[in-house]
Amino acid sequence: MSANARILIIDDDEDYRASTRAMLEGAGYEVAEAICGRDGIDTASSLKPDLIVLDIMMESPVEGYTVVHALKSRDQCGDVADIPILMVSSVQDDPTSLFPMTGEVDMITPDAYLTKPLEIDKFLSTVKRMLGQ
Amino acid sequence: MSTQLSQDVVIIVIDDDKTMRRACQAALRHTEYQVETYADGPSGLTRIEETGADLLVVDLKMPGMSGMEVIERVKAIAPDIVTIVITGFATVSTAVEAMKAGAYDFIPKPFTVDEFRVIIARGVERCQLAQETRRLRREKEAQARKFITFVSHQLKSPLGAVQQYLDVLHHQAAGEIPERHLEWIARSRKKIVDMLQIIGDWLTISKVEGGQLVTDRIALRWQDLATDVLESCSSAAEDNRVTLHNDVPFDLPSIVGDATALRMMLSNLVGNAIKYNKPGGEVRVTGKADETEVSVSVSDTGPGISSENQEHVFEEFYRVGGAATAGKSGTGMGLPICRKIAEELGGRVTLTSRPGDGSTFTAVLPRAFDEMSASDRQTEQTS
Repeated sequence: MSANARILIIDDDEDYRASTRAMLEGAGYEVAEAICGRDGIDTASSLKPDLIVLDIMMESPVEGYTVVHALKSRDQCGDVADIPILMVSSVQDDPTSLFPMTGEVDMITPDAYLTKPLEIDKFLSTVKRMLGQ
Repeated sequence: MSTQLSQDVVIIVIDDDKTMRRACQAALRHTEYQVETYADGPSGLTRIEETGADLLVVDLKMPGMSGMEVIERVKAIAPDIVTIVITGFATVSTAVEAMKAGAYDFIPKPFTVDEFRVIIARGVERCQLAQETRRLRREKEAQARKFITFVSHQLKSPLGAVQQYLDVLHHQAAGEIPERHLEWIARSRKKIVDMLQIIGDWLTISKVEGGQLVTDRIALRWQDLATDVLESCSSAAEDNRVTLHNDVPFDLPSIVGDATALRMMLSNLVGNAIKYNKPGGEVRVTGKADETEVSVSVSDTGPGISSENQEHVFEEFYRVGGAATAGKSGTGMGLPICRKIAEELGGRVTLTSRPGDGSTFTAVLPRAFDEMSASDRQTEQTS
């Protein structure tokens, strides 16, 4: 995969989007932004990014989960289901503990999880690893 | 006080004298109180234990279980109940003794119906006031927690955004702006990180107090928790040139607790032991058990804590001053969080330390009984 892989940031906080974008662009990635779950699903489907950085605690935690469910379910989003998702949130807990105890926990287990605010080195190395670089 | 409340007032009368029981019942017949009478202590106490009551009227002199004994026992099963004692002979000493044991008031025999009603009315007023006070206190505590949570979230998010901006600036402005400007950015970032830590701890305290952090009561093994925590602390230990040792016996019996909360507690203790250590120092985690409890101890080779500071380290916001902590950031909330988590689980955290000789923090929790009876593993010997 090339260094200028395409990364989609889904986050409802403008400042987090801007600074996360700056981190990624500084490392040479191409960045797209979505400001809510709906927008995120649409953009992911049309843009087919190489990686999605998703805030799971947007308006409500439900929104984040809904987005992951939609993105990871082949019926709704087809080949988007293969795109790795890096979940971020300002909640300290292990994200899997936040998931409602449904039988679908496996499906939405994040490919990776980081706590906001993101630390640039840790964030970029995680991104790199997830892109298989 | 409103009549609405007094409709719910349950009065228990315990007296071996049948005439007296009838008289009490009759005196309160046309009131809104629900009156029940019992001929002896045990049956009255059983009733209180099963469904609760607001007011207890008890004769001091009874065969079998005495009135004093009833007062003593009722404190354990219904600490909020208001007790009025009937004294057979109006000596001040018996009444004083009963009041010392927790009775609210006394009425000497013989008494008139009116005298009895007045005493009961006072007692009812007392328990309604107490109920109201408790309700207000609970409400206030809930409000305080709500406020803390709200403020913290409102502060956390913007501060986090600032930290992320500063992180980017620090990385990307290097070489483009003067070195001292970069230094300022780094310092600002450090301040934000510390502040976020305080907010995080504040939220944790309020979560523990609100019963939202310690939610599970399951059998857990200290050795598993210690392994997880030491693993996650390994890079901090390396940075501080401190060696970590996991000496928790493999066959230590299980405890009852909440994994997330206990990991947090142990992380705090191990984190402190690393932070307040000397270069080349050690952190050792050990464990032992007796018949009812299992403890884990975290020992460091740091400067130790003076006896006057030992009394305060578990207080919120308290930080030990002086050379030992100079230049080390901390919120002063780590140990209070540890203690609260342990207490929430029916345990405790204690400290033994001698200046110059390191410190040992010990967390003690109840042993998991199911498992103990299921497999008699002779684990006591591990201690």
